[in-house]
Amino acid sequence: MLPIRQGQVAIAVVCAVLGFMLAVQFRTTQDIKSSIPFQRIEDLSQRLSQTEKERDTLLKQMHEFRQTPELESVAKESENIRMGAGVVALEGKGLILTVDDSKRLSKAGDNPNLYLIHDEDILKIINELWAAGAEAVSINEQRLIATSEIRCAGPTLSVNNTRYSPPYEIRVIGEPQTLENSLKMRGGVIETLQFWGIQVSLKKQEIVQVPAYKGTFRFEYAKPVKDGGK
Amino acid sequence: MLLPLIGLIIGVIAGSFFPLMIPVEYAKFMSVALLAALDSVFGGLRAGAEEKFDNTVFVTGFFTNALMAAGLVYVGERLGIDLYYVALLAFGMRVFQNLAIIRRYFLKK
Repeated sequence: MLPIRQGQVAIAVVCAVLGFMLAVQFRTTQDIKSSIPFQRIEDLSQRLSQTEKERDTLLKQMHEFRQTPELESVAKESENIRMGAGVVALEGKGLILTVDDSKRLSKAGDNPNLYLIHDEDILKIINELWAAGAEAVSINEQRLIATSEIRCAGPTLSVNNTRYSPPYEIRVIGEPQTLENSLKMRGGVIETLQFWGIQVSLKKQEIVQVPAYKGTFRFEYAKPVKDGGK
Repeated sequence: MLLPLIGLIIGVIAGSFFPLMIPVEYAKFMSVALLAALDSVFGGLRAGAEEKFDNTVFVTGFFTNALMAAGLVYVGERLGIDLYYVALLAFGMRVFQNLAIIRRYFLKK
């Protein structure tokens, strides 16, 4: 029936090996199929190694950029913005002004209001200081920021929604001589105030500390302009 | 013909119960080696049918074919060449060729 007569034993042995391999492979393939496809594993591991490589190069780039001066300028810019926004305490050369109500007794028939400090007086002083190149201003521990109000609230003064009564201490950082001159010039703010007996004392100091703005920023209506905004 | 069949059955049974698992990464090489072995067996059967069977050639051919096929696929993977498919195609073609020749011998008989 069968034409094969030669090498039956050898073929049988090889067939045994072949069968063994077949069975093992069969089981392995079944195992792979029941878990995750081989192709998928290969794909994922390749992608993983690729992503890891990308991450490493990006990390290296980040380190490089941190050391380049370009980023230093960015850091400096953000520091400048923070200083301008008033969220960091600052110190430097400047003035400390103390403003107090008049001790003079009002004459009969005079409006007693004239002998008291009003928001307008403080605003005038502050305005003059800004104009003279003040870099940071605070009133009684309240840092003046872009949205700070200075407003009479009855007998008290409201700054950053906190009320203060006299005396008011105004701390300014800037060139002291310029600031002093701006206030003390003839016909200037201090002269006008002193006319009513309001006490303004002025101290030039090498180190004036201006506290940071302690509130939070809330923007309910304002949104940054999307396209560039510059 | 009975003897090779018995050998095959014994091998399958042994493989089924042998606690050997090939790692997933090497399953590819194993499949190529398996195909090479299959090719060798069919080649041996054909040689036997043609009465040209040589024991040494057959046995050495079986092992070297299987090992070389797996080795080539491994090297190809390292080099980024898909020798896997090449080996698959070559061995597959030979298997079918041998099968056709064996079939003719059976028919002639």
